[in-house]
Amino acid sequence: MSRGVGVSLQDVWIKFGDFVAVREANVDIQGGAFFSFLGPSGCGKTTILRSVSGFLDPSQGKIIIGGNDMAGIGPNKRPTALIFQNLALFPLMKVWENIAFSLEVKGVGTAARRKRADELLDMIALTGQGDKLPSELSGGQKQRVAIARALCAEPDVLLLDEPLSALDLKLRQHMRTELREIQQRVGITFIYITHDQSEALTMSDHVAVMKAGVIDQISDGQTIYDDPSTPFVASFVGENNVFRGKVKSIDGDKALISTNRSGDLLSRIPLSAKGTLGVGDDAMMFIRPEALSIAKDDAAANNHVTALVLNEEFEGQTFNVFLEGDGGKEMKMSLVNQGKARESAKGSSLTLEYAPDQAIVLPAGELASE
Amino acid sequence: MNISAAFKRFFNRNGLGLGSFLLIAVGFWLIVLIILPQLSMLDFSFRHHLPPPEMGGPKDTYTLEHYKYLALGAQGADQSYNVVDLGVFVRTLVAAFFVTIFDLLLCYPLAYYLGQASGSGYTRILVLFLIIPYWVNEILRAFAFRIIFGDSGVINELLLAMGLVDNPVDFIRDNVALYSGLGYAYILLMIFPMYNVIESLDRNQIEAARDMGAPWWRIHWRIVIPYAKPGISSGCTMVFMLSAGALAAPQILGGPSSLWFTQIIYQWFNQGGNWPRGAAYAIVLLSVCILIVLSAMRLFKVRMGDIGK
Amino acid sequence: MKSQNLVLKIFLGLYLAIFFSYLLGPLIIMGVTAFNSPGFPRAAPWECLTFEWFEVLSNDKRIMTGLKNSLIVGSGTVILSVVLGLAGALMLTQIYPKLRATFYTIVIAPILIPGVVLGISTLVFWDRLNIMLGLSGDSFLHNGIFLTILGQSTFIASYCMLVFLARLQRFDMGLTEAALDLGATNVQAFRKVLVPFLMPAIASAAVLAFLASFENYNTTTFTFGKYPTLTIELAQKVRYGINPSISALAFTIVVLTIFAAVTHEVTQRRKQLALASGATVSAIRGDGFLLPGFLRSNPAAIVLLVLSVGAVATVGFASTYSPDSCKVVVREQKRALQQKQIEKIKQQRLQQQRDKATKGPDIFGADKSKVAPQSGFATKSPGVGAFGNVFAPTNLDKTQPKPESKTESPGKGAFGNVFAPTNLNETGPKKP
Repeated sequence: MSRGVGVSLQDVWIKFGDFVAVREANVDIQGGAFFSFLGPSGCGKTTILRSVSGFLDPSQGKIIIGGNDMAGIGPNKRPTALIFQNLALFPLMKVWENIAFSLEVKGVGTAARRKRADELLDMIALTGQGDKLPSELSGGQKQRVAIARALCAEPDVLLLDEPLSALDLKLRQHMRTELREIQQRVGITFIYITHDQSEALTMSDHVAVMKAGVIDQISDGQTIYDDPSTPFVASFVGENNVFRGKVKSIDGDKALISTNRSGDLLSRIPLSAKGTLGVGDDAMMFIRPEALSIAKDDAAANNHVTALVLNEEFEGQTFNVFLEGDGGKEMKMSLVNQGKARESAKGSSLTLEYAPDQAIVLPAGELASE
Repeated sequence: MNISAAFKRFFNRNGLGLGSFLLIAVGFWLIVLIILPQLSMLDFSFRHHLPPPEMGGPKDTYTLEHYKYLALGAQGADQSYNVVDLGVFVRTLVAAFFVTIFDLLLCYPLAYYLGQASGSGYTRILVLFLIIPYWVNEILRAFAFRIIFGDSGVINELLLAMGLVDNPVDFIRDNVALYSGLGYAYILLMIFPMYNVIESLDRNQIEAARDMGAPWWRIHWRIVIPYAKPGISSGCTMVFMLSAGALAAPQILGGPSSLWFTQIIYQWFNQGGNWPRGAAYAIVLLSVCILIVLSAMRLFKVRMGDIGK
Repeated sequence: MKSQNLVLKIFLGLYLAIFFSYLLGPLIIMGVTAFNSPGFPRAAPWECLTFEWFEVLSNDKRIMTGLKNSLIVGSGTVILSVVLGLAGALMLTQIYPKLRATFYTIVIAPILIPGVVLGISTLVFWDRLNIMLGLSGDSFLHNGIFLTILGQSTFIASYCMLVFLARLQRFDMGLTEAALDLGATNVQAFRKVLVPFLMPAIASAAVLAFLASFENYNTTTFTFGKYPTLTIELAQKVRYGINPSISALAFTIVVLTIFAAVTHEVTQRRKQLALASGATVSAIRGDGFLLPGFLRSNPAAIVLLVLSVGAVATVGFASTYSPDSCKVVVREQKRALQQKQIEKIKQQRLQQQRDKATKGPDIFGADKSKVAPQSGFATKSPGVGAFGNVFAPTNLDKTQPKPESKTESPGKGAFGNVFAPTNLNETGPKKP
């Protein structure tokens, strides 16, 4: 049922003068997929989107949509529709005129346009609101109108540029589900841009994580989270406790890292780092806050870390403990709230443990700066 | 920057039709309407005054005679300088300067008042009153002043009736009518740039200064005026340039013995028939005015971009 | 503190009163003169209420031709300057930042260049182009309307550009991109998205351009050729002889202006009210029931109402009223006074001739011819406006044969001999 077409970027470079906004991007997006570009602001993800929609030409490389090279084809000729960050609804046109604009420019008659707009209004649950002006709608309603307007053009690929960033938290969460539902219903390819990792992880089939113009990893959400391929991805997607050190020994898919401050720690080597990580290399080890727990005994072991409780923060289903490890290293541990008395009184010293399978080690690299 | 790439981007962005239209329209305005006529006038001012058949002929050479005439007068004149024309020129500039100062002093309080009391229906009415006179023809405004300041005008009738004077005061000969009319003509150009800037001044700043015990004149001197500087200079520039270049008001309100420099230019064109000389005079007026404005802008540290906002 | 506030308020009130009497006083006085019967526009002393100056105005062929030319030139200038100003503004938003300042300086310069210079440069440039192309003197390059439109548009386009720039600053360029993305061509995106957004700016730029063109004198005076605009005609009339029909024209313009301005204010106000109450504009417009309340809170609407009623009443009154009986009375008074004064004046005339001789030849006779005789009258006949009429016939030519002209011709002879013949002849040839 999928009528979405594939999009691929082949060795795409985009430069503005001397500044390289996108470096050697190679992406293959399957037809009908929900694909996200995730990265901090200024990483070049919007630039990629604009080059796919045709507002700028790559300095080098090809953009192929549905098997056709898009070089020299303007935005109005491409089978894409873009939902802008600020939605860009035409303020002087009524809602239905906004929705049916793509038909208007094709010369479709008023009655047919109105009919199509009403169908789409039904779909986005705004039946009967077609004669309002965009300024008379709420944020979420505007959002849905923007989606309807883009869908009305019957694009093969829908491009979304952080469309939820202006909404409040509750609405944002609601719209996530709604977007995903719409995507599954219409079955076209969605390319989604966001700096919000939970948006990317909840909605997408695949996520590309970008850093400073470079795509670090393309994978499904689970892999990105569990098996990040670079320190940047590990630290940008979700929270992580970072331990720097050197590889002491390697045994199968496990490595022993001699950390600068917390002694020797055992960790799993993810697939992406296998073969690239050798004994004596600078390495970074990552342990998620939820992978830490309070150790059953205080004995020194290579999956034990000692730390001082600085502060705690109760969040309902979890509570977060902020700790200071040896040598002043800051750490965070998230414990599931099981209603029992907490053992992590402020100022007390704790020994933490983790399952070595849940820790990963990667060649040292750049971290996402918070 | 790569010019062909820039053009390509321009056409990509606007499309071929719209892009060419923009280029042609802007090119026409810039080159055919603004630059070429000015250059042509400059060129013309350096040529001899010739009858049309001789233009382009052997006699059509470059000369400084018209500029010399403005500076030195006719050859064989008894004075070494062209006292009449130069005198008119200087008097025009000085008078324009005083008209500017007069408008500034008159308009600043109102601009401040309107800018700070913004929004109410009352101020809207005041603004409406401000605009109405400027929808009326320039000539008619000057005419109104003529009626008022004429010998049998309202003011003279009033003075006579009150017994303050025995004979009507000749306001026109004394140029009172001219200066009032010029000042009147450009009030709006002075008030609106100032008003626009002052309107955006945060009232809290003024209240903070008052709170600290600053007297009203210090508040204006230290806070409002520095803030309104772009508006003030923009207004002053326009009023100065326009009064120095005014023609209608001096023609209608000017006293019989006083000329405005533009009137001399007008005479070379329409009565003297010596176009190159008129062009030379116009060039002198234009360049001196620009020079004055630029140096004033340099003096008060205002940029060109502030004009017209 | 309170007394200080009071003083401040008094000063403010005084200042506002002075300011606005300076601003509006001349117009009011001019308006009054349009209804006073003396042939020289004056507000005091009041003689007879008359509407004849409006009739004189509508019969003045030159004024009417000027009006026609003004409308032609105005429409041409509006079209050209709105188009150029829009193109300039759009260009400015796209041009390289380095070039932007230069570009801005060049296109804003025409506002600062004296209008006289613009007129001259336009005239010189097209004249020389004409010669260069070897065209005859009547080619379209010499056409007054063509030249005037170009000359005026040079700087009026800059005004329009400023209007567009202000509006464009609030335009989200994303809207154009959205339209393109939805399949619109560049022209469609321009026409359906940008132009509707700019519509209010286009309207105000067009009004501004028309007003600026309509009242322009400095530039037009060099370029009009055989097509004098209304402003040019007015200037000729005002310079070489004035009569209250000009006041009548001014009065008409002022009333139309106020009418337009107040109407504009009312519609603006209505929109604001509609926005404030959360309803759409059409809702309030369609609902007659809301109007009384809307009137109460809108002083401008009341003014509009009063104005309309006043205009209708005035027109009705004017069509039935006749000032003839009043004029007869005034004429009788004048005749009596005249007899007494003619003798006196004849003596003084000799005195004046001697004065004039000592003053030397007067180059600027045009101005003096109007000024000096009046001063003579005012001194010699205090309180009698009748002598203003003496000059009316010469100034007005034959456009309005008035009853007074016969009775007062001796007076004309008496004074006219002193100044008028020589001076008026001098000014005569200057008229094109």
